[in-house]
Amino acid sequence: MSHKAAKIGVTSLVLATVFGVLLYTTLGESMQYYKYVDEVVGSQGDWTGKKLQVHGYVVPGSIGKKRDRLEYRFDIQRNGKTMRAFYTGIVPDTFKDDSEVVLTGMLTKDGFMANDLTAKCPSKYDEATGPAVKR
Amino acid sequence: MSSLGYYLLLAAFVVGAYATAISVAGARRRSRPLIESGIGAFYLLAAIMTAASSVIVYAFLTGDYSIRYVQRYSDSAQPLFYKLTSYWGGLDGSIMFWVFLLSIFGSAAIYVNRERHRELIPYVVAIISGVEMFFLLLMVVHNNPFETYLTQNPTDGAGLNPLLQNFYMVIHPPTMYLGFVGLTIPYAFGMAALITGYLDDSWLRAVRRWTMFAWLFLSIGLGLGMIWAYEELGWGGYWMWDPVENAGLLPWFTATAFLHSVMVQERRGMLRVWNVSLVIVTFFLTLFGTFMTRSGIVQSVHSFGQDPVLTRMFTVFMVSMLIFSFGFVIYRMPLLRARNELDSWLSREAAFLFNNWILLFCALFVLFATMFPTLSEAITGERITVGPPFFNQWMIPIGLTLLLLTGIGPLLAWRKSTIVNLRDQFLFPTLCGLLIGGGTIALGVRLWSSGLCFAFGGFVVGTITQEFWRGARVRQQTTGTDLFTALIGLVGRNKRRYGGYIIHVAIVLLFLGFAGGGFKHEESALLKPGEEVRIGDYVIRHDSLAVTDDGRKQMVTANMTVLRNGVELTKLYPARWFFRKHEDQPTTEVAIRRSIAEDLYVVMPQFDASQQSANVEITVNPLVNWVWIGFGLLAFGTLIALLPETAFAFAIGRVPDAARTATASLLLLAIVLPAAVQAQDGSSGRTNKTAMQRDIEGKVICMCGSSGCVRSPLNNCPMRPACHGYDGQTAQLQKLLNEGKGQDDILTAFVKEYGTAVLAIPRGGFNSLSWLLPYGLAGLGLLILVVTARRWSTQPAAAAAGNADMTVDPTIDARLDDELRDLD
Repeated sequence: MSHKAAKIGVTSLVLATVFGVLLYTTLGESMQYYKYVDEVVGSQGDWTGKKLQVHGYVVPGSIGKKRDRLEYRFDIQRNGKTMRAFYTGIVPDTFKDDSEVVLTGMLTKDGFMANDLTAKCPSKYDEATGPAVKR
Repeated sequence: MSSLGYYLLLAAFVVGAYATAISVAGARRRSRPLIESGIGAFYLLAAIMTAASSVIVYAFLTGDYSIRYVQRYSDSAQPLFYKLTSYWGGLDGSIMFWVFLLSIFGSAAIYVNRERHRELIPYVVAIISGVEMFFLLLMVVHNNPFETYLTQNPTDGAGLNPLLQNFYMVIHPPTMYLGFVGLTIPYAFGMAALITGYLDDSWLRAVRRWTMFAWLFLSIGLGLGMIWAYEELGWGGYWMWDPVENAGLLPWFTATAFLHSVMVQERRGMLRVWNVSLVIVTFFLTLFGTFMTRSGIVQSVHSFGQDPVLTRMFTVFMVSMLIFSFGFVIYRMPLLRARNELDSWLSREAAFLFNNWILLFCALFVLFATMFPTLSEAITGERITVGPPFFNQWMIPIGLTLLLLTGIGPLLAWRKSTIVNLRDQFLFPTLCGLLIGGGTIALGVRLWSSGLCFAFGGFVVGTITQEFWRGARVRQQTTGTDLFTALIGLVGRNKRRYGGYIIHVAIVLLFLGFAGGGFKHEESALLKPGEEVRIGDYVIRHDSLAVTDDGRKQMVTANMTVLRNGVELTKLYPARWFFRKHEDQPTTEVAIRRSIAEDLYVVMPQFDASQQSANVEITVNPLVNWVWIGFGLLAFGTLIALLPETAFAFAIGRVPDAARTATASLLLLAIVLPAAVQAQDGSSGRTNKTAMQRDIEGKVICMCGSSGCVRSPLNNCPMRPACHGYDGQTAQLQKLLNEGKGQDDILTAFVKEYGTAVLAIPRGGFNSLSWLLPYGLAGLGLLILVVTARRWSTQPAAAAAGNADMTVDPTIDARLDDELRDLD
């Protein structure tokens, strides 16, 4: 009995270690920090070059778009701290002045280069499974 | 009205408390009257919940906007259908709907089992009532759907979220709830068995069918959610590992595991602790899924508000449920000892065990990854998120392993497989797999995951074909019928097994669709009228942009032409709809060109009406339709497994010749019928003329200025009355109507004259009901088949007098059973 218990114990230990290591390594590649604008603005140096999700609000009047292109430039802010952001692609309708956005991308010294933009609706959804508008 | 509803909920809570208490007391004292009283109270609860549901539905129908819930989720302009279904449009109503379903479902389960499992019933009643009480308490103290406005009653409602005004979204939640609710029944029986100590396999037999039933609804619910996401959300896919989606998937994994491991316990008396734990975990996950998505503990693109009260109540309930359940498991451990040991790793049991581990691992992994942001914040203080790539990285290899096991399991013998029967069993399926795999490589597929998926799929299909073939051959030899009848008889003899194989084929189809996702490509562009964009073999030309209005919403529709090799394939009409009162949340109406090989999926997230330009996102989704077909087949297979014992009796032996032919033709009909219907839909009948005329006027663009550049429908043309287009077209419409033409003919005539630009609302496309119709009819066909089968089977003696089949005597039957068992 104890022999069997030992076998089971060792097997599960090995399996757990293997999965743990695998999980740890794969997590490292796909992890993204989730930060608010004001948390990032103070310490740009720490975050430059890291994969990041930034949560903030669009500064009214800051949205600029190239004519006939899908290139956007805008500012996002939270608690008085602002940051410049760039995004190329189609934006959701809820992306407008003051809307709450989550940007995914990389921080550079020119500003935040977003490759994904999710905007939450100003009048918040609270219906059963009402999803926010994904890009 | 609202107070009536509220008192009904209170009454339900009290009755639930009574049912719980009296059942436990009755069981402990072994008092029949007390137990009966508990069952009675349980039925009464169902009646009260039905009444309460009627009250809220009535409030929705009459537009009683003094009730907050009604005000928030409906308005007077909503069609009747959506008014009814607003019942489960929000959280409070969902909870009530949940309790309602659980009370009905539970009553049915208790009614069916009340004699057969007499010892278990009082505790089953107590457990289900206890669960109902929790949700009722939630409503009474926190989420009361009957809450009213204190001061001023609004005159109209806010309206249901436009995204939810979709056919699939209407039927998706109730199917999902049926699945969740259904999984409460096995939990209740499992717990009753633990409490009473009657831990033989009788509780398993009682819940087997219910679990399958719940599993069916859970699967269909997941499928409908995927279709909804694909057709309504317009991001080009159907699954992105969002917490809300994962919540439904978690119990699906463990319920699937349970359905497999049940067989091991029935057959070999093993895995008893495992099975009862799986049932508990599954029930826990249904609760946890609800909790996760409703309490705001996990951030999701589905932004639910934080709700600390709900969080606290759910946490208390879940923790006490886990302690209670696993406490009993530990207490009953001595009774749960396995009757057998695992003989060999090369056995069916071992395959099932692997399958279970993997499914459980899936559930744990998805749970972990979904909760990761919350966990990381709790531990490190930093909120760190993981995206869909992380899920895919893990789930693709796991899924492939599972697929492979689907093929291996049935090939292994119970107890122990010998080398000889391994070779015998694996030869054909392996060849199939290699053939498909080789073909895939030859065709130039260089994606390892999809390539492997195809090969494994081939292997599984090979396995199942071999199983059906061998079984049918054996049966044919012993009964002396033709192969086809033998096949039906075989399935009838062991519906669960062969229904299961059909489900496996469905799983292969699902994987086929998933594998196609690996070859998906996307393109986005800003197009002015006349401009084109190329994607794959397709060229998509933007022709024009139309703005129309149907009273409830404003619709902006792009007219696009799809060409392949310079030949026009079809027209597509991606649109954006702006519902009244929800103008800031327009819905994206996706245009899809479906085909078995691939879907061309076009959405228009943005447009510029002044320039008539449209921003489009185009996705080519290879093989995606196989996912939906897979779900259809999965439902079919589950229904076969669920059929009552007598359903196939006609095929098990004594069949008159005529009946056999008739069966074959009926079956063929059932297969062909949906296709015929698919071809027919779209042709609608004629209706009241004036109404129809108005209707058509709304559907036809006024062509004033020859090109219809104003793009308004006839009945709304701003150029009237001095508009030559209007006069000409209305006259023409009147003439066609007088000739007695139907709407479709008229629209066709208009299109012939002016081109498709004349249509304000493109034809086809948005009618989701028609898409579901074939499945409904297939179900109907099956029903007819079953009914006929039953009728034949009840009077075989008269019909088959003197028939050669009568010579099939019990000994042959027994031999067949033996031989079938050998194949197991």
